Amino acid sequence: TMRKGVGTGAIAKKKLAEVTLQLLLLLCICMSKQLETFKSHLEEFASKHKQEIRKNPQFRVQFQEMCATIGVDPLASGKGFWSEMLGVGDFYYELGVQIIEVCLALKHRNGGLITLDELHQRVLKGRGKYAQEVSQDDLVRAIKKLKVMGNGFGMIPVGGSYLVQSVPAELNMDHTVVLQLAEDHLLKEGLAWLDSQAAGEAQYWLPALFSELSSRDVTPEEANQMTP
Amino acid sequence: MSFEWPWQYNFPPFFTLQPNVDTRQKQLVAWCSLALSYCRHHKLYTLDVMEAQESPVFNNKKIERKLSMEAIQVVFEELRKKGNLEWLDKNKSRCLVMWRRPEEWGKLIYQWVSKNGMVNSVFTLYELSNGDDTEGEEFHGLEEWMLLRSLQALQTDGKAEIITMDDGKGVKFF
Repeated sequence: TMRKGVGTGAIAKKKLAEVTLQLLLLLCICMSKQLETFKSHLEEFASKHKQEIRKNPQFRVQFQEMCATIGVDPLASGKGFWSEMLGVGDFYYELGVQIIEVCLALKHRNGGLITLDELHQRVLKGRGKYAQEVSQDDLVRAIKKLKVMGNGFGMIPVGGSYLVQSVPAELNMDHTVVLQLAEDHLLKEGLAWLDSQAAGEAQYWLPALFSELSSRDVTPEEANQMTP
Repeated sequence: MSFEWPWQYNFPPFFTLQPNVDTRQKQLVAWCSLALSYCRHHKLYTLDVMEAQESPVFNNKKIERKLSMEAIQVVFEELRKKGNLEWLDKNKSRCLVMWRRPEEWGKLIYQWVSKNGMVNSVFTLYELSNGDDTEGEEFHGLEEWMLLRSLQALQTDGKAEIITMDDGKGVKFF
């Protein structure tokens, strides 16, 4: 999500482009010179942009994508060169803790399933006005880390977004899928459809899950007809 | 050939008018498409709203879901806005369904006429819609009101002239 004052203007974009270019140059150096030289350039780069990385979520995404192209995962281990240099690991570790807190607090209400949207909103609220901006991309990365550490976390793709699962559980994959969470939210986002003719109370269906269950293959075009 | 239902037809919420505006839009597009395909397949040119509610297209007995009268009216209104439906009465109890527009019918009819070298011949409306010669053509069985509109479209194009004969109407093709 875009927020005012977080560097979405032309100047910020230019800065981002410059930094990306610098990282690309580093990549070239890496390819042609020795490891020591590479490391020192990297250290310089890291210290220069440490602040930017912590402050700007857009920058973080770009940065991580760049790292991926050179085969580096800044979050690979808590004590790695990158995470120490940049403090990126800390950032995601802290975020992970926050995510766990939110999920635990709501588990009794939503059975351990929460939409990425709601999680994002609550995390932002918990961080307060003056904390660093956190994007949904950040949440997804943090959850992936949590998953690796075996905390029972998982993400279920639904429509164009995700459900975050904080308790290992198997969704009932029967023809009737009843989710007791944020139903209004799902309806609002166009992720769920209302069925008012079900026996008992109203039911909510996820077309994305339904199309996987029906025996007929649904073409991508057909699937797009139903989901946002 | 039996009618092929789209997968939405077996999706229970499809029969509930969706509260979310964007979702409802997608739903209505699918319903309009289904209604027109169904009418086309069964060569239905008019619909009675009461009967429609019990017809398989709006009532899927297998999954025990049916469109409410209110929802059917919403679908029909969408069809009307798109030019595929015309109400026959003020109470909106019966309507004409145009799964093919008059111009398109006209074109088909004219193609048949010219292909068979019958330009400049005169036909009664009955001969066109129910004659032995037209059996097997798509416009065979076309209801008179639609046939007339189609011929009127051709007339506007200068390809036909509707004439009044002793016992009804006829048409001459140019």
